[in-house]
Amino acid sequence: MSVIPGIVAVNTFREAVRDRVLYNLIFFALLMMAAAVLVGGVSIGIERDVIVNLGLSAISLFGIVMAIFIGVGLVHKEIEKRTLYSLLAKPVQRWQFLVGKFAGLLLTLVVNTALMTVGLAAALFYVTRKFEGSDGTIAVAIYFILLEFAIITALALFFSCFSSPLLSTLFTLGIYVAGVFAPDIRDIGIVTSSSAVKAVAEGVYYILPNFHNFNLISAAAHKEAVPFSLIWQNTSYAALYVAVILIGASAVFSGRDLK
Amino acid sequence: MSSANKPRAVYFALLAIPVLMIGLVMLQRDLDTSLSMLPRDRPELLLRSGTTLKRLSLGYDPLLADIYWTRVVQYYGSRVGLPKATFNLLGPLLDITTTLDPKLMIAYRFGAIFLSEPGSAGAGRADLAVDLVKKGIAANPEDWRLYQDLGLIYSIHLKDYQKASEAYLQGSKIPQAPIYMKVLAAVVAQKGDEMETSKLIWGEVYATTQDKLVRQKALEHLQALDAELDLKRLNQGSEDYWRKFGRYPTTIQELRDAGLSGEKLQDPTGHPYVMGPNGVPQLDPQSPIVLDLDKKIR
Repeated sequence: MSVIPGIVAVNTFREAVRDRVLYNLIFFALLMMAAAVLVGGVSIGIERDVIVNLGLSAISLFGIVMAIFIGVGLVHKEIEKRTLYSLLAKPVQRWQFLVGKFAGLLLTLVVNTALMTVGLAAALFYVTRKFEGSDGTIAVAIYFILLEFAIITALALFFSCFSSPLLSTLFTLGIYVAGVFAPDIRDIGIVTSSSAVKAVAEGVYYILPNFHNFNLISAAAHKEAVPFSLIWQNTSYAALYVAVILIGASAVFSGRDLK
Repeated sequence: MSSANKPRAVYFALLAIPVLMIGLVMLQRDLDTSLSMLPRDRPELLLRSGTTLKRLSLGYDPLLADIYWTRVVQYYGSRVGLPKATFNLLGPLLDITTTLDPKLMIAYRFGAIFLSEPGSAGAGRADLAVDLVKKGIAANPEDWRLYQDLGLIYSIHLKDYQKASEAYLQGSKIPQAPIYMKVLAAVVAQKGDEMETSKLIWGEVYATTQDKLVRQKALEHLQALDAELDLKRLNQGSEDYWRKFGRYPTTIQELRDAGLSGEKLQDPTGHPYVMGPNGVPQLDPQSPIVLDLDKKIR
């Protein structure tokens, strides 16, 4: 297995750190501290729920924003700075470059999320004064958020292979929003009497990345156990979906004339 | 990258993507099954203070009230009729909605009925309903319909006929109030515990409400009251039968043959009444009518 994607990934991660993208952690820390202090005053009896909901929502939101806005510039920036030409002049395949870029941004998101998780755990401990076994669902919820980031990063990278950063942002955001509402799109087919609409709705449901699968925030807040089958199914789903997008991105990028 | 690699990547994508998509569809089906096993119906109300929400709404409180009102309807609609349904958040949700928009009359009227309703039809919290309607009256003193709702809660659910009569009387003094408010005040004070009085109260709710759910609930009560009156009459016939023949009838037909059943042998939903043990007439088990447990036939 080639080490080239790994080298590209590490450089992408370093570049992200140099660009101070991890500064969002300061805002997250302030948010969690403020929430931990204020939560007792406004949400009697459900302080833990508020901290978990707020923390996981912030982790998800910050990560999605990072995945989209950094992801759409990954290829475009390299072309604009002309660094891509010198890179591809070396024995580097285009798919290796894409996989490396994807892994690099995902690594950035994992590090960012890990640090946010520490902040969430601290706020949770401040409020509840203890950790319980049922808090494990929070870890699963964070893992699912990371799977979500992987798909969004791959989507942003895919669009950045053939489109401008602005359009790529719109496309990625559009697919993300549609993916969140995937079950509602399927439900349109259920309530309609038209078999054609039903078939289209079902088709769209299966083609879109179903981000609803990964939403475990409420379950984490309510300390609900998550079946193991859901973990491996979601892992497989995210891996397959990322593979589909990256193969598509490689096909598009390999056919692109960079002259 | 050589040009020969370009079509190779495209061919690979054309082959691999459909195969992977089939895998994704199969996985999504498994995920749908797994997700359906998770309890998705979790009541949540993170911020319970309407006043705080009003401040946070930055002047968009009427819009937020509409959103909360929609939540009330969804919350109630998703639970009503379920065997072990609870409506713990109905009171707080209605309180927030009416704090955000104190003129949202539909919320007070909805709350008056469904906060009070016992069993699987409501929260069974007539006390909260009284508080909500009184809050509505304080914000909308010119609306007689809230006094009508207050009278209903006192007379039907709390059996406090004195307070119910006072509420109707108070409402009747508002210029636009219909004349029947005075009639209700008098009838409730004199014959509050009679079924005919309950019929009169629910009949006026049915006639005046704009809310479909409230209208349906009023209709259900009217049908139940009609059925209760029918069963009371049939039960009287059954007693007469015993006095005449020395035994209770085993079927409604026997009662009819003896000329003691009267004309109405079906409940308001069209299901025939049936004879239970010891000559006690009952509703057909298939009938959707739910009788008021407080009112015994015998």
